[in-house]
Amino acid sequence: MHRLDPRSKIVLSIVCAAVSMMFMDIIPLLMIFICLLPMIAAAKSLGRWAKSMKGLGALLVFVLVFNTLLSPVENPLSYSLSLAIRLVALMTSFSLFFLTVQPDQLSQALIQMRVKFEFAFAMSMAMRYVPTLGQEAYAIMDAQRARGVELDKGNLIKRIRNIIPIIVPLIIVSIRRALSIAESMESRGFGANENRTYMEMLRFGKWDWAVTLSSLSVLILVIYVRFFVGLPGWMLWNFPF
Amino acid sequence: MIILEDAHYSYDGVYTALRGISLQVDDGERLAVIGANGAGKTTMIKHMNGLLRPQKGRVILDGQDTKFMSVAEIAREVGLVFQNPDHQLFLDSVKKEVEFGLRNIGFTESEAEQRRQKTLASLGLEDFAERSPFTLSGGERKRVALASVLSTEPRFLALDEPTIGQDAHQKNQLAQMLAEMNKRGRAVVVVTHDIEFVIENFPRTIAMAEGQIIADGSTSMVLSNDEVIERCALAPPQMTLAARALRNVFPDVGQRLTLLSELEETIMGILGGA
Amino acid sequence: MALIEFADFSFKYLGADSLALKRIKLTIDEGEYVVITGPSGCGKTTFCRAINALIPQFHRGYVAGNVYTDGKNTRENDVATFASVAGLVFQNPENQLVTLDVEKEIAFGPENLGVAPDEIRRRVEELIEILNLEGLREKHPHEMSGGEQQRVAIAATLALRPRVLVADEPTSNLDPKSAETILEIIAHLNKRGMAVVLVEHRLDLVAKDASRIILMNKGRIVADGNPREILAMDLCEEIGVGVPKATQVYKRLRTRGVELRNVPLTGVELAELVQEATPR
Repeated sequence: MHRLDPRSKIVLSIVCAAVSMMFMDIIPLLMIFICLLPMIAAAKSLGRWAKSMKGLGALLVFVLVFNTLLSPVENPLSYSLSLAIRLVALMTSFSLFFLTVQPDQLSQALIQMRVKFEFAFAMSMAMRYVPTLGQEAYAIMDAQRARGVELDKGNLIKRIRNIIPIIVPLIIVSIRRALSIAESMESRGFGANENRTYMEMLRFGKWDWAVTLSSLSVLILVIYVRFFVGLPGWMLWNFPF
Repeated sequence: MIILEDAHYSYDGVYTALRGISLQVDDGERLAVIGANGAGKTTMIKHMNGLLRPQKGRVILDGQDTKFMSVAEIAREVGLVFQNPDHQLFLDSVKKEVEFGLRNIGFTESEAEQRRQKTLASLGLEDFAERSPFTLSGGERKRVALASVLSTEPRFLALDEPTIGQDAHQKNQLAQMLAEMNKRGRAVVVVTHDIEFVIENFPRTIAMAEGQIIADGSTSMVLSNDEVIERCALAPPQMTLAARALRNVFPDVGQRLTLLSELEETIMGILGGA
Repeated sequence: MALIEFADFSFKYLGADSLALKRIKLTIDEGEYVVITGPSGCGKTTFCRAINALIPQFHRGYVAGNVYTDGKNTRENDVATFASVAGLVFQNPENQLVTLDVEKEIAFGPENLGVAPDEIRRRVEELIEILNLEGLREKHPHEMSGGEQQRVAIAATLALRPRVLVADEPTSNLDPKSAETILEIIAHLNKRGMAVVLVEHRLDLVAKDASRIILMNKGRIVADGNPREILAMDLCEEIGVGVPKATQVYKRLRTRGVELRNVPLTGVELAELVQEATPR
């Protein structure tokens, strides 16, 4: 799973998400979800996926309860259950992408899909500097606390005002950093050539074609079945409440 | 007087930065803290002003356990200046920056005004009072950051790597300023890699490695110790290297030579005052 | 033709009150190891950036005179033109590593200039070996120490095969051990033929390897010559330059009437000279 080209993973994820969006009934949604699980397993990411689903837990409960109690539909519990499952399926489809694609692979994929280099690179640079920025923010908080700024006391208004001694230095330091980074990049020819080369190019392998083509076929099939043929009766079963 | 008593500290319970640090800094002392990156120097001085609290052991400021004091309270007595002045500066005039600390700590308007004047004068920043700190040069911003911490006249001042990127003249100015503060009874603790600066300005040095204090004593003794130099990832002081080379030929040359003037006298002696 | 030529070059940053560089005139040839030093604000940082056209192309301002690097005028060519001639290494290592791993960082420069992928791969492997970066392949830049980051930054610069390495206080933010390592690498590169322009305060670490020292003060060049000659001058103390301790001892002895045969740059040299001068 990991060795697939990120572009085929994009197609796969989008197809899964689209398919999840097309159904409103419990059984088909459950079926979709059950198909997604082996894919996550193949990516050896079940653990991380489970963690992110746990985070989703509160939202799921909220959706369930809220819709069961307030929705005007005939069988509210059934309805909210299907909404919940749909949410999980949707999140899982996207997890399929994010858990298996590295930031620089994503960047390269975007570049090869004709996104301008500057934009794709800006994205990966932003990610690269996140930990640096975080550390800088902590350093600033330390420096200001050492001058008597009390960050964890006071009412809401006071706390918001106390953000200023943190945000202003952070912005200024980031701007200075950006200029410094720009100097280094320019000195190494950034922006020189329309014909920039890449040491590692992404290439579609046979598995990539297999995955992409079968995803697209599944999508077409599902659209056909859903909109033109209609689902068999037993699939439309739901709870009577 | 600040006492650290068997202080232990781990970041996130995983990375142990301090393994039982005990030291005492008296009023009016001047001491340097050296050690390799990751030895725990910065962690230790953050314990002095309460930014970090020991997970085991105590920090005692003037007889009172700092456990019951907030950082703001401790900051009145213990000032800490970090390496990058841009981490502190955010107001639109040097004047306001210097007053900022005073306001937080609870001085009145007029007290603040007075102290502000004094501090600006002592650091040669009166001409910059109305200017935005962002228009000043790197060295000037460092002085503003220092001024803003000094304005509360803390009895202990700790500085984290104050000499980085400073030229010889600026280092001399800094050394003079620290000596001034010292004369007025303020204790000064400096964390630094710059051993030449340490040799010239600090009579006492503490060496740290892997979260522990491996040496604490007179600078000349600590810095002539090869093991200390090795474990602190430093290069031996220039004068020590010269002295060693000399000792190969003139075995009488002293073991603990670290000051330039000492070496000069020794050589004059060898050359018979020719 | 000199590698770098400053022809009466002056520059003032936008919004500044005074000129950062005043009528600089000098040449630097292949293979030289030039150390530039002077008090803060003397113009040494500006000087470095004028070599590869960051000034005046990236930092705009008032310009007079010209700088020719590898024969090309920096006022008429953009910075990218000079990327494969002058490699700049800056003070803050973290700001020079813009990608997520070492290989990509080294590849960044050549990729920008359209070098063929196989050639890029070759250079990456070569530089990882030369600069001993094998153990860092899997590390995120943020996880590396300052010294490691700076080594990667140097590798990334060398990937463009420059003819001169221009380093602006590359060791200021590093601990002494890492600083030594970096300066050793630079000295080694110089011995293998690369010209070096290094801005450094800590002359005790570099004076012995330099072939030339240039003193700057207030935007002008005030002294330019052989390290021993220059460091023996009283001008150094006047403008506030950190003369190596051994040389300071030499100068103090001189004021007391003791003249050693040569100007020492290190403690060992000092000891040797004293030994020579000892009356039998």
